[in-house]
Amino acid sequence: MRRRRVDPAAGARAGALPEAIAALSRSLPSGPSPEIFRRAKFDRPEATSALWQLLFRVLSPLPAGNALASIALEVQARLVKSALCSQGYPRPALAQLPEDGSQGSRELLLALSWLLARGPVPEQMLAQTRVPLGDEMTVCQCEALASLGPPAPHMEAEGPVDVRRVQWLMGKLRFRWRQLVSSQQEQCALLSKIHLYTRGCHSDQSLGHLSVTEAEMLRDPEGGQQLLRTLEHENRRLEAVLAWRRAEPVFWQWMDTVLGTCAPEAPAAASQPTFLPWVPECGDGELELVVRELQTLEEELREAVERRRVAWEAKARGCGRGPEWSAARRASRETVEKELGALQRCWEQDSGPAPAHGPYRLVRREDGAAGDRDLRAAELIRTLRSQEACLEAVLRQLQRQCRQELARLAGALPGLIWIPPPGR
Amino acid sequence: MLPADCSRRLVDELQGALDACAQRQLQLEQSLRVCRRLLQAWEPTGTWAWEPPPEPETNEEDPLPACTPSPQDLKELEFLTRALEKAVGVRRGITKAGERNKAPSLKSRSIVTSPGTTASTPPQSPGQVGGHASDTRPTKGLRQTTVPAKGRPERRLPSVRDRTRAGIGARAPRSGAGLRNQHMASLAAPQAPEAFTLKEKGHLLRLPAAFRKAASQNSSLWVQLSSMQTSDSMDATAAKTQFLQNVQTTSGRSQPRLSAAEVEAEVRRLQKACSLLRLRVREELSAAPMDWMQEYRCLLTLEGLQAMVGQCLQRLQELRAAVAEQPPLPCPVGRSPRALPSCGGGAEPTWSPQLLVYSSTQELQTLAALKLRVAVLDQQIHLEKVLMAELLPLVSAAQPEGPSWLTLCRAAHSLLCEGGARVLTILRDEPVD
Repeated sequence: MRRRRVDPAAGARAGALPEAIAALSRSLPSGPSPEIFRRAKFDRPEATSALWQLLFRVLSPLPAGNALASIALEVQARLVKSALCSQGYPRPALAQLPEDGSQGSRELLLALSWLLARGPVPEQMLAQTRVPLGDEMTVCQCEALASLGPPAPHMEAEGPVDVRRVQWLMGKLRFRWRQLVSSQQEQCALLSKIHLYTRGCHSDQSLGHLSVTEAEMLRDPEGGQQLLRTLEHENRRLEAVLAWRRAEPVFWQWMDTVLGTCAPEAPAAASQPTFLPWVPECGDGELELVVRELQTLEEELREAVERRRVAWEAKARGCGRGPEWSAARRASRETVEKELGALQRCWEQDSGPAPAHGPYRLVRREDGAAGDRDLRAAELIRTLRSQEACLEAVLRQLQRQCRQELARLAGALPGLIWIPPPGR
Repeated sequence: MLPADCSRRLVDELQGALDACAQRQLQLEQSLRVCRRLLQAWEPTGTWAWEPPPEPETNEEDPLPACTPSPQDLKELEFLTRALEKAVGVRRGITKAGERNKAPSLKSRSIVTSPGTTASTPPQSPGQVGGHASDTRPTKGLRQTTVPAKGRPERRLPSVRDRTRAGIGARAPRSGAGLRNQHMASLAAPQAPEAFTLKEKGHLLRLPAAFRKAASQNSSLWVQLSSMQTSDSMDATAAKTQFLQNVQTTSGRSQPRLSAAEVEAEVRRLQKACSLLRLRVREELSAAPMDWMQEYRCLLTLEGLQAMVGQCLQRLQELRAAVAEQPPLPCPVGRSPRALPSCGGGAEPTWSPQLLVYSSTQELQTLAALKLRVAVLDQQIHLEKVLMAELLPLVSAAQPEGPSWLTLCRAAHSLLCEGGARVLTILRDEPVD
């Protein structure tokens, strides 16, 4: 430990630093000991593999499990590099580190601190593995029907496929949607019953009734013991995070010194490291789709605007000139600008008063009374209905567009009659 | 037949959607299993899950009591009935008397008086239950009909059981006695209360003390954490920003690189922009202007929209170029595009537990149904765009002869215009010469 200076403040700092680091490692899952951190400052090789593993745990979006632990160190290292790169880690030295864990602990320590500085990492990791005590429902749609993990490779469709197979798959999908609807209705009914029957049980007055997890705990005491143990473990982690947050400033002072001991990077173009060939088109396909849509829209607008501009000019020439004329035109311009500005803000700011990301605990109350931080089902229903209407409009519009396009392509043929299916 | 790469893309996309639905269905079914089990009859303390089957029990001395019971049996029956009534009365008195902790009832597993444990963990029973081992089977029958609401009455039952044991004597061949008790108990049925169900006795349940303590500690810690988050100390924030800047400068690059995550977020924003713009364009194009003022405004709006579309396209070209010069970094482990907290970008993630209050089953069902509908619509729109991108070029490029083209057209129409729900009919109408 650094006790070079004599002033008492430094003495206090020197004592506070190990505590801060200890709190940090307690707050992270399988965090390495403070000794590892100290060794990493001096770029000792023995600290390297622990830091690779920690970074892997932090960066992997999948929840922890035995599967993760069994991945080889080289693979973990490569994935860490790829993840850091995709998050925009600026230092090129990271990409050049050997993947066998033989050196580079200081760079890894810097990378870890970079992540810690950018976001509330320990809290996020805790939230990922949080013990859900209540019946939870997420309000945001970001994980609604998204599948987790890489898509399973499908053996079948390796060659050309008949379009009827595509139709069949679509039919299967529609069936699954219907199945989901009915299963979900049943689940809600049962959940509601359980809430109703256990009202008055809960020690916490604001909740009032048991959740399925809690009732299940009463039914199955072994499971209950397990739940209790996990809960207490989470409490210890929470306390560690709070301690870390209080002791943080000391850590950042120390990290500045760590950064100081690094040699400055030469601004050379680092060679692009090779990454695991994962799903290569993720994000890219989306970009192309949007570009194409916008281009179609642009075409359409170009024609429409030209037409209307010409028509307008012709009309305007006929009308008189005058101050009220130009005043009226200016007023129109301002109104339009304001409207379009509001429209632009719709997508520039991510939906203003959005309900918080993260799960809510479902609570049944006959009177539906809710505190200010709580959400009422009725309001959420309203929001969802408007979203539904919006999405339905988009879908219908797309379908209309297709109908026109297909009519254009196919209608030119003589000798065929196209009988559309009966309407709804 | 569709070309190979097109087929692959379409099938992959549809299969991905199918997998996502299957996953959700699995989650729902798991939850349904748990809920259904909770709504049936269960024993709050032990892990008693099944009823002893009558058949295998009839092995020994006792003849099936299906025939007329002997006088001794009748006496025992009467004794048992009285004992049962007494037990019920005692228990009712207890439950009226007030609440007691559930904790003792959890501990009662180690006490002899829980036949439930023997039912589910037979190897344990001899050691655990000790002298009452032989007793537990017959009393299982007893308990079957007098299952307590909370398991507290176990404290009382031993006395009853002792008496019955004394009364019945050392006659504890498990099977016969058990069966007899079942039979007798069913004879005595009108008096005996029913098995525990959430419906009837749910409101009497209580959570164990240890759990309550841990849960309240947990929620207060989360609240502390979230309040600390919002009032993050100035030192720490300043220190962090400074550190990030220092790292940036030591890296030899002045501009931070565009990360894949940022590119994705921007693409999503522009996607949203695109759909909003398109909706607005539709509105304007379909509106019928009444007078010149409206017409003028319509024109201006369309021109403004055109400019905005141009801006978005330009931004997308820039992104494309930026992505191309640094190779598009593949996503790390797992699929990140949807799994990343897309809406957590703007909103502050709150850590403390929040409530979603509903007032009736119907409300909850409506809410859940709407959520699902919005998710399904999202999926449908995405599929529609993919299908449009793949199928329309095929239809326009294909030679319009032969039945395969007609199949393609029909399929394309059904998929693109009817969501795969309906198919149109094509009638060949050859002119008769």
